[in-house]
Amino acid sequence: MSWFSLARQPLKINHRLAASALLCNLSERELKIVEAFVHDRQFLAGEVVFDAGEEGQALYIIVSGAVEVCLPDQYETPVAALKSGDFFGELGLLDDVPRSAQIRASERSELAVLFRGDFERLMASHAQIASKIALQLARHLGLRLRQMLVQTADSVALQ
Amino acid sequence: MRVKSSHYQSGPIVWAAIIAGTCLILFLFQKILWLVVPFVLALIIYYALLPLKLRLLLGGMSHDHAAGWVSSGAFGVLVLIGLLGFPKLFAEAVSWHDSAMRYLDGGIQFLNASIIQLEKRFEMLAQARASAEVARQIAEFSAHFAEKYIPAIALTIAAWSPSLLLAPFLAFFMLRDGWRFRKFLARAVPNAYFERALFLMDQVDSTARLYFIGLIKLTLLDTFCLALGLWLIGVSGALALGLLTAVLAWVPYIGSVLGCLLVVLVVATDFPGNPGVAYAAIALFIFVRLLDDFFFMPLTIGKSLNMHPLLTVLMIFVGGAVAGVPGLMLVLPVLGVAMVLGETIGMLVNDPRLRARHAHELALRQQLVTKDLRLP
Repeated sequence: MSWFSLARQPLKINHRLAASALLCNLSERELKIVEAFVHDRQFLAGEVVFDAGEEGQALYIIVSGAVEVCLPDQYETPVAALKSGDFFGELGLLDDVPRSAQIRASERSELAVLFRGDFERLMASHAQIASKIALQLARHLGLRLRQMLVQTADSVALQ
Repeated sequence: MRVKSSHYQSGPIVWAAIIAGTCLILFLFQKILWLVVPFVLALIIYYALLPLKLRLLLGGMSHDHAAGWVSSGAFGVLVLIGLLGFPKLFAEAVSWHDSAMRYLDGGIQFLNASIIQLEKRFEMLAQARASAEVARQIAEFSAHFAEKYIPAIALTIAAWSPSLLLAPFLAFFMLRDGWRFRKFLARAVPNAYFERALFLMDQVDSTARLYFIGLIKLTLLDTFCLALGLWLIGVSGALALGLLTAVLAWVPYIGSVLGCLLVVLVVATDFPGNPGVAYAAIALFIFVRLLDDFFFMPLTIGKSLNMHPLLTVLMIFVGGAVAGVPGLMLVLPVLGVAMVLGETIGMLVNDPRLRARHAHELALRQQLVTKDLRLP
């Protein structure tokens, strides 16, 4: 958790992507380079960003607004909420795996999208920046794995 | 329910649309050939210089500066080649006509000698007086060649020169603003189709990149093999001849025939009275073409397009029928791009969930902009 708490602290870097947990280790100059590789999208409240089962091709960073995570057939009861600075769809950056959940904007949101092809180009042209992002991604996935293990252990203990 | 992209297979209607679209694009390209040729040349320059630009980006340079430096460097190299090469070229320009006539005479003599040899072996050819007939036709063609073809060739070169100057200009802007243009295009795509559209653009870009990089690699491999073979035979200017022949091979079939003719002309002139060397050059040429078709092409261009060989051959004929020589040259890259576009659009049109999401987005926007608009 301590890794990601850094992202929520007020940062000196004045860049719209600096508050992101994924890009918090990058300098202002590096963020400007990353800016050239990301696409901006605006979503209205209630709009679907992507569906569960869809082939993932990109990672999304919440620049402003909020989204909710819904599991298949449980669209009325979101299982998690993500806010400005969080990111999602990270597995889409790594592989052709289907999305595991639906993401829906819960308020008007601005998302920065890093497409897999662009990330590969970033790795080819700016290996240092890409390795920083990949490291942060690995930490995030490690954290998620630990959380899942704890949840599994708790459910086993309850049974 | 989602229709998963990995389960989607293009049907006959999509394929018919892809082939029809390719023919239509080729037909339109033929009408604006003055723009298409510099654009294709610009793409080749762009993909050749792109790795250098990426190197500079890796070094911490901005996109604009990297494009500027790479373009200036390439321009500088061209100017240097021009400064070093043009004085010699102009000095020799006077003798070009004599050289051309010498090579033509050499070729004609070789042809006559070959036909006479054949007449000696086959009685039927001797009775038909084949050598006399061929000599008469060649003499007729040579007598009217200058007045018939030279003005047309000179006019074509004069008309094409300004538009060819567009190529480096276009290549510079592709290097500098290509990524901005990509983002600009992506902004026009609705949210529901966005990821799929990005994937499509990426596929089109990588297809075009692999094709043109493959073409450059293929040209270098062909040049090397032909030059090595011609050098071993003892032909003068083997490297230049190899390069020229490899570039001519960019035009399927016709280019290969012209290249072979060029090699024969040079070899027949360099070794008069020794047809064995010319036959060796022809054998070498056929060997390199076979290498090219069955070994180099699948390794370079074939990888990028991933097409069935039968479709490739048929489309080359269709391209030639629709748009002549430019059609032969452009049919494969155009078909590659049309395939990606057609398959993706087919998938989008057949995906009810994406269409529903787009309709939902439109309804949400309509609701947002009309929520305070009520009639009294």
